[in-house]
Amino acid sequence: MKKARNDQFFSNLEKFVNKVYPNQPQRKPYLNLKSWPSPRDEAWKFSRLGNLARKNILPLNFENQQDFNINKLIKDSISLVFVNGKFEKKLSDKLLSEIVIEEVQIEDFKEIINKFDNLSVKNHPTLNSTLSCSEKFFKIKFKNDIKFYKPIEIFNLGGTENTSIHPFIFIDLDKNTNVQVFQHYSTYAGLLAPFEIINLSENSNLEIIKIYDDKINSHNLSLTLSVIKEEANLRSFALIKGGEFTRSEMHTLLEGENSNADINGIYLSSGNQHHDLTSCVYHNVPNCKSSQIVKGVLGEESTAVFQGKVRVEKLAQKTEAKQMSRAIMLSDKAVSNSKPELEIYADDVICGHGATVGELDEDQIFYLSSRGISKQKAKVILIDAFLNEMISLSISDKFHDIIYNKTKTKINKLLTNEYE
Amino acid sequence: MPILEIKNAELSIDNKKILKGLSLNVNEGETHAIMGPNGSGKSTLSYMLAGRDGYELDNGSINFENIDLTPLSPDERSNLGLFLAFQYPVELPGVSSTNFLREIFNSRKKYLGENELSHLDFIKLLRKVAENLSIKDEMLKRYVNFGFSGGEKKRFEILQMALLDPKISVLDETDSGLDVDALKIVSEGVNNLKDKKNAVVVITHYQRLLDYIKPDIVHIMSDGKIIKSGDADLALYVEKNGYSEILNEKS
Ligand SMILES: Nc1ncnc2c1ncn2[C@@H]1O[C@H](COP(=O)(O)OP(=O)(O)OP(=O)(O)O)[C@@H](O)[C@H]1O
Ligand SMILES: [Mg+2]
Repeated sequence: MKKARNDQFFSNLEKFVNKVYPNQPQRKPYLNLKSWPSPRDEAWKFSRLGNLARKNILPLNFENQQDFNINKLIKDSISLVFVNGKFEKKLSDKLLSEIVIEEVQIEDFKEIINKFDNLSVKNHPTLNSTLSCSEKFFKIKFKNDIKFYKPIEIFNLGGTENTSIHPFIFIDLDKNTNVQVFQHYSTYAGLLAPFEIINLSENSNLEIIKIYDDKINSHNLSLTLSVIKEEANLRSFALIKGGEFTRSEMHTLLEGENSNADINGIYLSSGNQHHDLTSCVYHNVPNCKSSQIVKGVLGEESTAVFQGKVRVEKLAQKTEAKQMSRAIMLSDKAVSNSKPELEIYADDVICGHGATVGELDEDQIFYLSSRGISKQKAKVILIDAFLNEMISLSISDKFHDIIYNKTKTKINKLLTNEYE
Repeated sequence: MPILEIKNAELSIDNKKILKGLSLNVNEGETHAIMGPNGSGKSTLSYMLAGRDGYELDNGSINFENIDLTPLSPDERSNLGLFLAFQYPVELPGVSSTNFLREIFNSRKKYLGENELSHLDFIKLLRKVAENLSIKDEMLKRYVNFGFSGGEKKRFEILQMALLDPKISVLDETDSGLDVDALKIVSEGVNNLKDKKNAVVVITHYQRLLDYIKPDIVHIMSDGKIIKSGDADLALYVEKNGYSEILNEKS
């Protein structure tokens, strides 16, 4: 088999864009990225893309013929289904009039992207590829005259092993709105490059729960840029368990006073999986709070990394920023990395960070066993406890059981394999 | 009928001999007390009985109702009816006390081939047992031992003992950290569980516990061995005179 070159995907992409969108010059600037980030690139040091670069991947360009079962987690939620990165109206629930889905153009959100004056964002494979080749850019607008929204569940489905898919979504909350969004990533894509933009207007609240569960050959390079205005609150939680390689990357800009961002997550890694939670929070104004808390369980030969960065501008006095990562290793072949980064230019701030990596506590296992609980069951109980603490801290009570159950099968698999 | 027979137990930790030929027999219906200076190996004995990793015998034997305990894991020993109240109970953050208690109660029932209790029936039972030990509902809503005071931890151990209804219980310094009232409540709890078919071994430094839990036999342990055994008066003697004379007698 012919080996693909490191830039194969990008030349495929360029040909694709020139052919499919010959008259859309606004896409062209995003074709400037010509190769995958190298391991020398600080942002990708712990998450190497060699395997992805060796794949010969083309943007997917055929109509969906398949039927899909949509398994909603919440009975009364509204589903929005994206197959191969394209919105499928027939598979989605009927939209209520208060939720507006509209097609937008790059110019309509370019201003937001420009706020992220950061090289690793500007030359990001997801941002570049998705803006150059995604068929349509959708914005979901939540209007402020509505008191109560049902939870939204966005499903990303489809894909094939040798193609890439490029969903784009812009979640835009008006002032004073309260919204809950679930993002499901369950594709077969060789590369899934979902790009999301979140805009939280004054005093709005968004709880977003992302469940990464792509098939085992997939690379998922998810990128989310969020801008948060005064008194607004972003509560983001990522559960990563699927894919060959999954990176959940979030850049969050606090630009209104008294706003808050919680960018938390759990990864459960087995086999040869690589999982990556990368988060940068930019405190640009005073009196804001953020937390980046990540917990993981790693088995077999899996690897994981938490990269958490906090940047506190000179102006941003009275910032409170918390960062923590804890990993439990079930195998001595698994590797967990943690890279905290604090860039602080203000003097009156409270920043805390800590990282621990370890096995399950032998004293705790013994205590449980001495009460008649098998060692295997004791481990399940302790891992559950470890994750439950995180889940209760990170998401609304009414979603606890749903998310907890999503961890269950993976934990059992991790512990079964340990005993093989 | 003997429940527990320990013969010439020798055990080392990190190549250091801790138990040096310890023998002890406990029969149905008996209450034993083990006393002895700090570091004499009392807790080591209790871990050895419970089957903790790293506490395997170098020599000797332990039998529980004529079953050789040495190849059995801690959970198997617990299922047979051995209970250890820890000197230092372990905190389990994230594990709800009520769920934990129901889990251990039901797994014991399952082992005994008895019916497990429904959630509601278990809660009723738990309330009653907890009340007898003056354990507040609020404590059961917390994580296991997490943020419990010293005395609360000890009471929580006895609560587990009551739910598991073991054949033999080893209580390692359950009296330490208890105030006068709690000592009385906990002792009564232990006495209420006592019958002709089971046995209790209390490890303690103080006579005040033995005023409530009356031992049939008192053992003095020193340097990894039991060096003297006697009736309840032996504890009173130690309380009054300390260990030195007994230790000197031996050497
Ligand atoms: N993990 C260990 N590693 C090395 N030495 C140990 C370990 N655990 C116990 N020891 C040693 O074994 C001896 C017996 O300890 P043990 O805890 O059994 O004593 P004890 O009689 O229970 O004392 P106390 O009355 O203070 O509770 C001590 O000298 C102790 O230092
Ligand atoms: Mg001790």
